[in-house]
Amino acid sequence: MRKLIYITCLFLGTFMLNAQEADSDLLVVKERLDSIIAFTADLELNVDVSFINMPTKYAKMHYKKGSPVNFESDDFVMVPKRGLDLSMQELFKNPFITVDRGKEEVNGTVLKKINIIPTNNKADFAIATLWIDTDVKRIEVSEINTKKNGTYKIFMNYNTSGAILPNKVIVSFEIEKIKLPIQYVAKNVEVDRKKMRKEATKTGNFILNISNYKIDKK
Amino acid sequence: MKDLIIAEVYKLFKQSKTFYAITAILIIEFLVLVSAYYQGSAIIDILLSNLKDTFYFEGNLLNGNLLVYLILNTFWFHLPLILIIVVSGMLTSEYKDNTLQTIMLQPIEKWKFVMSKYIVAIGFTISVVFLTALTAFVFSYVFFGKGDLVIYLGTLNFFNSADAQYRLQMAFLSGTVSMVFFSVASMTIAVIMKETTKTWIIAALFLIVSNVLQKVEINSVWYHKWFFPKLNNAWQLLFYQDIPWQEIYRSNILLMGYIIVFVFMGVGIFNKNDIK
Repeated sequence: MRKLIYITCLFLGTFMLNAQEADSDLLVVKERLDSIIAFTADLELNVDVSFINMPTKYAKMHYKKGSPVNFESDDFVMVPKRGLDLSMQELFKNPFITVDRGKEEVNGTVLKKINIIPTNNKADFAIATLWIDTDVKRIEVSEINTKKNGTYKIFMNYNTSGAILPNKVIVSFEIEKIKLPIQYVAKNVEVDRKKMRKEATKTGNFILNISNYKIDKK
Repeated sequence: MKDLIIAEVYKLFKQSKTFYAITAILIIEFLVLVSAYYQGSAIIDILLSNLKDTFYFEGNLLNGNLLVYLILNTFWFHLPLILIIVVSGMLTSEYKDNTLQTIMLQPIEKWKFVMSKYIVAIGFTISVVFLTALTAFVFSYVFFGKGDLVIYLGTLNFFNSADAQYRLQMAFLSGTVSMVFFSVASMTIAVIMKETTKTWIIAALFLIVSNVLQKVEINSVWYHKWFFPKLNNAWQLLFYQDIPWQEIYRSNILLMGYIIVFVFMGVGIFNKNDIK
């Protein structure tokens, strides 16, 4: 029992040593993102979910600080609720602490890995992990564990070293298999319900190519 | 032969049940449109309910293309049933009214007489499907506009408006073969049964059994690839993301083969039997 208490204290001690109010590199990134007051951009959307076949869609994206992102399209478009907060305002909205998790190589680039832990109950995520390129001061990858909607991971590519906002975003998310209202919209569908139950939750990807940014900065 | 065909067309449009049938088809279309107007959003909501936690939706899926697809689904039962009643009536009414004997007193070859009925039945079926398609597209687009189509066929398939319109048109074209098959089959049943009510019962049974057999899964290549009930859903294949054209052509060509067999069977039986 005493051994267990020592180990727990040692573990917590190590953890607390790394924990800090806010990581300085993260604050630099946050400051850059905070400078964006509004932006509009053109989106090309592709859905990669095993049970959804959707052609490439095009939409216009509108962001204004303090408001949720809006989309505009002549077509029917389906955009993920999570992962399109490119300014990360949801992440930094509530007080948080950060934990430096060291360096990690992602796609050939050494990135700083940081955990963000909200310090109040208002945040809708339990923990977020960010992989930051400290040289160009921006987030390359983020993984957010939400309280209600599972985990989603966002990969961001930028076309220039000075770009604040990404030109390509891949949002990887968990998605529940759809239920079958086939009496309305389909007939003659052979359904393996046992198999479907086994595959209740799946991972999907949403691939966005973003262009023609018009950024309004401070 | 030409005169016989003209006479059959005249008789077909002289009888009131032809117009009752056309009206019935328009009423079914109207009901589909009205029910979609009142509960269409609910249908879409149910379909996309699981995705609503994960996605935002922008745009309208309750549009003309979905409505045309719902009308297209009358190909399973409603439309062939109405066609069966009218087409089989083209011959059974002649038996019932004893006009057949009068006609046969004329210097007319029996096979030419019944063949002209088959030709007019096929022409009538094609015209009815065309009318159904035309009214479905016009009313659906006028009242609900155009838009993307969503269909569940094992996977949730979305189609752009123009693509959806093309697939729906092709589906009507493919479904026409299926409708002609049921019309021709009902005419052959009329040749065999002669009596109106019995013909309707047997023809309706034929349609129901075909629908049931289509859903039955038997581990047999012949059953899946060659048996006519399995060939009647070729139009549905147009709503898979990658259209299996070869399968559609194969099913329709085979179904045309079945149509020819049924026509020859009917003509042969009619030619052989005496008119009492």
